[in-house]
Amino acid sequence: MVEDTPLDPVASAALIAEQRAKVEAAVEVDGRILFGAWGVAWLLGFGLLWAVNSGRLTMPDEAAFLAFTALLVLAGAVTAWHLAVTGAGVRGASARQGAMYGWAWFRSFGVVFALGVALDRAGATGEVMNLAMTVASLLVIGALYMAGGAIWEERIQWALGAWICVSTIAAALVGSPHMYLVMCIAGGGGMLAAAGVEAARRGRPRVL
Amino acid sequence: MGEEALDPVIHTQARLRIMTTLTALPDGDRLTFTKLQSLLDASAGNLSTHLRRLEDAGYVQVVKTHQGRIPSTQVGATRTGRRAFEDYVAQLRALLAPPTDPTDAQEER
Repeated sequence: MVEDTPLDPVASAALIAEQRAKVEAAVEVDGRILFGAWGVAWLLGFGLLWAVNSGRLTMPDEAAFLAFTALLVLAGAVTAWHLAVTGAGVRGASARQGAMYGWAWFRSFGVVFALGVALDRAGATGEVMNLAMTVASLLVIGALYMAGGAIWEERIQWALGAWICVSTIAAALVGSPHMYLVMCIAGGGGMLAAAGVEAARRGRPRVL
Repeated sequence: MGEEALDPVIHTQARLRIMTTLTALPDGDRLTFTKLQSLLDASAGNLSTHLRRLEDAGYVQVVKTHQGRIPSTQVGATRTGRRAFEDYVAQLRALLAPPTDPTDAQEER
């Protein structure tokens, strides 16, 4: 920090703009990173599941599922890292809000996992399991994105959640194996489109 | 409106930077002293001096707390501080804008 030198209005305005940009870059969650990471993971992961399940690619089912899981874990790690960096040193209302929202994700996926266990015990076939787990996971993601958009008044996030819900309805009606293609293109593509919209929004100059 | 009308508590490089940083956060949020220091590239002593001045004016609140056993100092803008900063920005906008052009009276953000 420079010692106190006299300021003129132009210098003050420049200083405010510069410092605001610096703070935002440091503490604001960057949709380009999160949507981008999940977009790539979905595009590749669902793409692979579709290729294998529709017989276009020969690969053991387990290996395909493992690769899909690895991609999701990678996107999850990027998310966790980004949230840790932007949340570091920030305390108070939004930190509590973020923690509650994070737990909402954690608990909801706990329910999805429990559903998988219950269906398996009840003797569900692999096909039924795949359908139920895919649709239930996407339901949680779409709903929580919309909720997050509503909480933080983030239109892009809300629209993405709504789009994921619509894509999931389409995927559920299409069924296996082409539901994976729907989620690859509509889901992954939607995520990447959201990252693009976010990038465009950030590129726009701001007034004081 | 002359430049002397600008709030002298805010109208210095160091304190304008502090107030800009703290008001960029949503209401009710605080930064740890260390985080604030890193966002400002300030020395601890320098930052403390300016924070005291802002605290005396009622613009910021310094909370000393413990996170487990580690002491933590957190700083946040008060309602008064946010209002003062908004007024400061409004005055700045008026000083910068040509008085005849109403299209320049845009909201921030």
